Amino acid sequence: MKGPDQRAFEADVAKAAFRLGETEGRWRLVGTDWPYAFMAVTAKDDREYALRLDCSGYPQAEPTGGPWDMARNEVLAFDQWPRGQGGRVSAVFRTGWKHGTALYLPCDRESIAGHPNWRQEMPSKIWRPAEGIVQYLEIVHDLLHCRDYVPRSGTAA
Amino acid sequence: MKTIDVFYQAEGLGEVKHLEIETDATFAVLKARLAEKHGFGLDILVFLEDEDDSVAELAKIAEHATPQGLKIHLHRLRQVKVTVTFNGKTVERHFGPSATVARVKRWAAEKEFGLSAEEAGEHVLQIEGTHERPSPGTHVGALNGDKVRDVVAFDLVPDERVQGAPRGFA
Repeated sequence: MKGPDQRAFEADVAKAAFRLGETEGRWRLVGTDWPYAFMAVTAKDDREYALRLDCSGYPQAEPTGGPWDMARNEVLAFDQWPRGQGGRVSAVFRTGWKHGTALYLPCDRESIAGHPNWRQEMPSKIWRPAEGIVQYLEIVHDLLHCRDYVPRSGTAA
Repeated sequence: MKTIDVFYQAEGLGEVKHLEIETDATFAVLKARLAEKHGFGLDILVFLEDEDDSVAELAKIAEHATPQGLKIHLHRLRQVKVTVTFNGKTVERHFGPSATVARVKRWAAEKEFGLSAEEAGEHVLQIEGTHERPSPGTHVGALNGDKVRDVVAFDLVPDERVQGAPRGFA
């Protein structure tokens, strides 16, 4: 039987804001294995990065997760992670943080813990339950399209 | 029957909404359907996204739709006054209510304040006096809450960025 968090998540991915992102190719829902949701986010080089997001307690609790290798069903090899030039992409996609299982973002459950200062320093990136998963995906999508992101050649993750 | 996905924003709605409509429908049909659904008056106007003039109601939706569908805005006003303040200077301009935050930012940051596209990418529009930073696809006409306002005021601010080494590095 589905819990309230899973039902809330399913309601959010059925909303227009999420579907518009899918329609425009910004992200897509690859699948779910509750409490995990697998999302693919498209970068500016058209590479898709899959994320495994633990959505336990959604939407009151923040999701947490990071790049995921869908074929191997494990954390994406660190040399395949989005790369930055030392700016905002590098700051968020930290392979040394939580063994690669969380993005270093205020809207990530594992990362906000222990960072109360972020609530004052980065209020716009604090998790907003009413906005839900689209907020997390928009932040990741913006990062993958910012000037710090280093485009890759080769096949998608 | 084939249908077209219509994603719409409007004054007072608060979030993007969606409906499917028949490919042979006109904007008049679309407007009537949305007016019934949301209680809009007959004075509501339909705008294509990032177009400053309202669309002719007898036009066919299919003529303006892309394979991904159609993005529109519904609003009683033909124009919204937008102000953007950066480094103590304020610029203003009128936009159609379907103007996206992304379009407004390009105008303000690159044209008015002379930032390069890359520099502009490191800045975002924040609603004046708040921490609210609407996403790039938000229409300015959707930022007026429950009341009809004809002014939306932004500050152009640097995007927040995670700083420093993580605590409890695992």
